[in-house]
Amino acid sequence: MPVTSAAPAHNGDMLTVRGLNVSYGESRVLFDIDLSVGARQIVACVGRNGAGKSTLLKSIAGFLKPLSGSVTCDHASLVGQASYDIAKMGVKYVPQDKKVFSDLTVRENLELGSYASQDYNWDRITGYFPKLKELMDRKAGFLSGGERQMLMIGRALLGNPKVLLIDEPTEGLAPSIVAHLKTVFGELSRNAALVIVEQNLPLVCAISSKVYALKEGRIAAVLAGRESIRADVCERYL
Amino acid sequence: MVKAFRWWWGILLAFSLVGLSRLFLPLPFINEVIIFSIYTIGCSFLLGRVGFISFGQPAYLAAGAYGTAFYLFYFGTNPFVGLLLGVLSGLVVSGIVGPLFVRLRSDYFALVNLALAVIIYYLMQKVLADFTRGDNGLWFLTNMASTPLLDISRPDQFFIFALLVALGVWAFYKYLDDSIFGACCLATKINEDKLEFLGYSNYSVRLLAFIIANTTTALAGAMYAVYLGFVSPEITSPSRAADPVIVTILGGTGTLYGPLVGAIAYTGMKDVISKLIGNWELFIGFLLVFIMLAGDKGIWGSLQPRLEKLFSRRNAPGAPDDVGATRR
Amino acid sequence: MMDAQLLISGVIFGLSIGSIFFLMAIGLSLCFGLMRIISLDQLLYYSIGAYLTYTLSLVTGSVWLGILGGLVVAGIVAFAVERLIFRRIYDRDLTFSMITSFGILIGGIGVIKFFWGVVPRPVPIPMMTQLDIAGTEVPVYRLIVVAIAALVYAGIWLFLNRTIIGKAIRAGIENVEHVEGLGINVSRLFTITFIIAGSLSGLAGGLHAPLIMVDPSMGLEVLAFVFMVVIIGGLGSIKGTLISAFMVGQVVSLGSLIYAPLAQMAPFAIMLLILLVKPTGLYGSALLKR
Repeated sequence: MPVTSAAPAHNGDMLTVRGLNVSYGESRVLFDIDLSVGARQIVACVGRNGAGKSTLLKSIAGFLKPLSGSVTCDHASLVGQASYDIAKMGVKYVPQDKKVFSDLTVRENLELGSYASQDYNWDRITGYFPKLKELMDRKAGFLSGGERQMLMIGRALLGNPKVLLIDEPTEGLAPSIVAHLKTVFGELSRNAALVIVEQNLPLVCAISSKVYALKEGRIAAVLAGRESIRADVCERYL
Repeated sequence: MVKAFRWWWGILLAFSLVGLSRLFLPLPFINEVIIFSIYTIGCSFLLGRVGFISFGQPAYLAAGAYGTAFYLFYFGTNPFVGLLLGVLSGLVVSGIVGPLFVRLRSDYFALVNLALAVIIYYLMQKVLADFTRGDNGLWFLTNMASTPLLDISRPDQFFIFALLVALGVWAFYKYLDDSIFGACCLATKINEDKLEFLGYSNYSVRLLAFIIANTTTALAGAMYAVYLGFVSPEITSPSRAADPVIVTILGGTGTLYGPLVGAIAYTGMKDVISKLIGNWELFIGFLLVFIMLAGDKGIWGSLQPRLEKLFSRRNAPGAPDDVGATRR
Repeated sequence: MMDAQLLISGVIFGLSIGSIFFLMAIGLSLCFGLMRIISLDQLLYYSIGAYLTYTLSLVTGSVWLGILGGLVVAGIVAFAVERLIFRRIYDRDLTFSMITSFGILIGGIGVIKFFWGVVPRPVPIPMMTQLDIAGTEVPVYRLIVVAIAALVYAGIWLFLNRTIIGKAIRAGIENVEHVEGLGINVSRLFTITFIIAGSLSGLAGGLHAPLIMVDPSMGLEVLAFVFMVVIIGGLGSIKGTLISAFMVGQVVSLGSLIYAPLAQMAPFAIMLLILLVKPTGLYGSALLKR
């Protein structure tokens, strides 16, 4: 596995994955995955469709039980825990499907997040996403794709998570919203570790300090360091 | 020749054993078991292969039974013709409701069939009581003429006939299992999108399977009618609705001999338990839950892999197996 | 043209029987919507509610106390069943829960037979007073049953729309994984929902007991009707359940005034018609594949 720069030390990392093996029923999807994210780092996970990126995030978040391997967040082991306990421990997963609770209002969606985390400070959320303030009483089913993505991330921010696992956030969104998200991610990483799965290579290369290239369930390359993190370099490993 | 034997040997063995048991088991018990297992194999096929559970098999049982009964009570005396008409009734009923039922999701399907059974129960009991004599039932034992070669109006000869029919039914279902159609059925259960992409229609596969399974059930109903010489609405009473499902689970869903093993176990246990503790429901309910929680393979379903392992050690390694999906 | 008196008592009768169906159907609908299980054992909690009403009314002399007791015990049994059995099978498919819950129902009937025997038992109606409505004598008890069902509907609505747990349940009906991802303990949510369902079924049984004879197979007898209500209304929708319970109640009642046997079959015909047009029922969620 080619590493094009010195890998950061493991000790100060917020999230560490070692030797993770995951399968869906009979078929193996992830092979021996090693991954680490620092406390205020943005790490990207790129790869073609079916490479296993979502599976990786879901396994870390506890929605899939791995065959073997370890996942630790801030010295606490995550493997085998229920997904809601993992979320409570500060590892929040923002899924790819852009689904919010359509029958509930934006306010109620946030209330659920607050209820789980006991964090009722919404100013932080509306600070990142001012648009949500106007949409508070609208049923979430009537939001646009971009608004939904903002709500999903905003909801996940409640409770001050240590790690945010974000699955394809910019898929299908307008460029202006993508730009807004880019800024928000930058600000978020001041307080949390971010692992972003993306197909949008230029975006992730601009904001990430480390990129994992996933190919057919294995880490094909780890890119770290400003010079090596470029879209064309990523492409080579996919 | 050898290939034909290898194909038939399981079925021949199973039913030879059943035939032999005539020597030490009472005739009514065995006749009941044979008909019951034919009743169940349709249900097992639907559940195990197509993934549909039906709590309304009595509806089709009644279709077959009453079809035969009407003929033998009002029109004629030939039991074979009666049987044929019973089967045809089942074919017609399942052909009519099939196109609607088969489109439904599995839970709706189960309950819609239950509702059909309830409706037919009320129909036979009250609405058409003028024709069906309601709860008194239709009696036509004396109407049945003796048939040449094999007089099926007599229980001991009926037994031989039933054995032959069962042999035929099992051969048919084994053939289905091995055929493309059988593979399609499994496919609709496992991955219906893929089946559509391959060019098959899920709806058509399910509809055909539905009609086949319920016509088999109607055959059982017709056989009950001829055997007992009597049909009443009790045959489709809602409390009997789950019998085939229980027997299917007991024997092992989707296996070829599961229904037979299940029917033997169920009928046998019912006799014994009822005499011992009288509270049959308690026993069967807990047994059902236990089987489901313990792996839902059933009696034959758990035995079969072990038996296969036992026999395959005898065969030479690398011996070619039958082509196609062979489930025993 | 029907006699006005007959019509009025027919409507009231239909409303009361519809109320019983509704109370049971809510439980089934919620259990399906949130946990994706078919809980046929709700019919057992119905029977438990009825039998406890019988016994407690004998012991304490008050039928209302009996109904309350029936509700509570049914809820407790539901809790036990959820923790012991259903907790293990939530990830399996629908047919699995159907068969398992049916086994629980049958086994439970056996337990009832064991304690109470097979002879049907009568339960006295708590109040024999009649009310005069437009010249017809209407039993007050039936009106109370309808009133209770209306209160329950209001209560459930408030619960689902005004409490945070209720909102979590509604969110879970849409997408359980997302609720988990927020950090909410869905296992507890499931248990709460199941207890609510069981208690409501027990209440239905208790309320129904004075109107019929209590016997071990009473659950099986109403099974088909309760499910027709649920299917017509659509699994997962409370509003749909209310509408279809009302409809089925009226059809059974008014239909039997016209021609008794047909009345039992009419709901089936309606169900088929509705399924032809909407294969998941009036308001059913089409979310799940087979």
